Amino acid sequence: MKKTTALLAMLVTTGIILAGCGKKEETAAPASAPAADTPVSKIVIGLDDNFPPMGFRDDKNELVGFDIDLAREAAKRLGAEVEFKPIDWNAKEAELNGKRVDALWNGLTITEERKANIAFTSAYLANRQIIVVTAKSPIKTKADLAGKVVGVQDGSSAVDAVGKDQATAKSIKELKKFGDNVTALMDLSAGRLDALVVDEVVGRYYTSKKPGEYVVLDENFGTEDYGVGVRKDDTVLLGKIESTLADMKKDGTAAKISTKWFGHDIVK
Amino acid sequence: MDYVISILGPLLGGTLVTLKMFVITMALAVPAGLMLALARISHFKVLSGLVNIYIWLMRGTPLMLQMLFIYFALPFVPVIGVRLPDFPAAVVAFALNYAAYFAEIFRAGIQSIDRGQYEGAKVLGLTYSQTMRRIILPQMIRRILPPVSNETITLVKDTSLIYVLAMNDLLRAARGIVQRDFTTSPFIVAAAFYLIMTLILTWGFSRLEKRYAVFDE
Repeated sequence: MKKTTALLAMLVTTGIILAGCGKKEETAAPASAPAADTPVSKIVIGLDDNFPPMGFRDDKNELVGFDIDLAREAAKRLGAEVEFKPIDWNAKEAELNGKRVDALWNGLTITEERKANIAFTSAYLANRQIIVVTAKSPIKTKADLAGKVVGVQDGSSAVDAVGKDQATAKSIKELKKFGDNVTALMDLSAGRLDALVVDEVVGRYYTSKKPGEYVVLDENFGTEDYGVGVRKDDTVLLGKIESTLADMKKDGTAAKISTKWFGHDIVK
Repeated sequence: MDYVISILGPLLGGTLVTLKMFVITMALAVPAGLMLALARISHFKVLSGLVNIYIWLMRGTPLMLQMLFIYFALPFVPVIGVRLPDFPAAVVAFALNYAAYFAEIFRAGIQSIDRGQYEGAKVLGLTYSQTMRRIILPQMIRRILPPVSNETITLVKDTSLIYVLAMNDLLRAARGIVQRDFTTSPFIVAAAFYLIMTLILTWGFSRLEKRYAVFDE
């Protein structure tokens, strides 16, 4: 997966260099900046469709999840059509800035690094980066991670969360990056991995599927916020989603959706 | 067993995507490969040189890179910059790539036919294109069937690469269920699906081989 990211970065750079002078013409086109009251008729939302419980497919192959419900409700209030487009989560910035999708709405953590490429709404969910180990693991605290192999989902905010805790990051033997959290959990069960750092909402979903097999440590790698991401120049859409989300929090709709998926209200 | 039945729907949906990719790629790559092979053996040096470079490019870089380039980088290239949706982008990459491999198989087949047959055809007064169509190509087909069936079966499995564009082919659909239900059994069901598809292809090709065997007698 890391290779894919590097490849992508290289390709896009090549593309941009090749674009060269062609770019001048492009910037001239959207000069007529749309007014704030321009109606949004359609929103294409990019998501990782294998990311339960935020967005995934049910038995009938329909997209469901907390973020799906939230986004559907927001689009309904805006009178806009909504299309969910599955994307490779490693390529989310390229998908957004290549205008293939208008918004990233799928448990997207607000980080300083991402703010360079993405404009975020205010946080709508707080989420901890938890540490998952097997039930019979001797690891009980963060300090026990010293010399161990720790797994994360590549391209996820868990990578940054671990990196920020420099003392722990230095003490661990290896930070292994997986394509998804399930393969990481399987590796954990197989004993090749000692611990997994994962978003709490996602981690709890999986650990509850196999009761007794995994343990969540008391310590964690800090709290983070989920936000909706749009293109930096797309201020109209940003404003509309922001105000709609605020309304949904105020009238209790967001809390209702949260209770449906998490059993209680964890909306921020 | 109930569980297997419950996941058949999404897996069949994924199989449909896989088959669509496969059929369209074959329909484009086989004729393109034949054209490339004929161009490569042509005495027109510029043409055969260009085809040589094309084949080198297509076989020399990973198919995944070609697909990522067409999808992500092509929109930024001036003049030819087009923004293809995911499915067409994947089809273009697969067709261009597989055409190069088929071209080499076809070339091997054409060149394996004895020179004497060209001379014989010339004596009979046939033109170059008549010689190709009536004498060389029918014999070539029989000889290239085994390597073509190899490539074809590889293509069925290679289509799983489209997961990098987040398209739900058979393998990605199975992965999705693995992630949702946290069990590995969807992989086994997916493997069975692939085996059935390649079994049908293997059978089809052995029938074709029998049919074309008459040219040897």
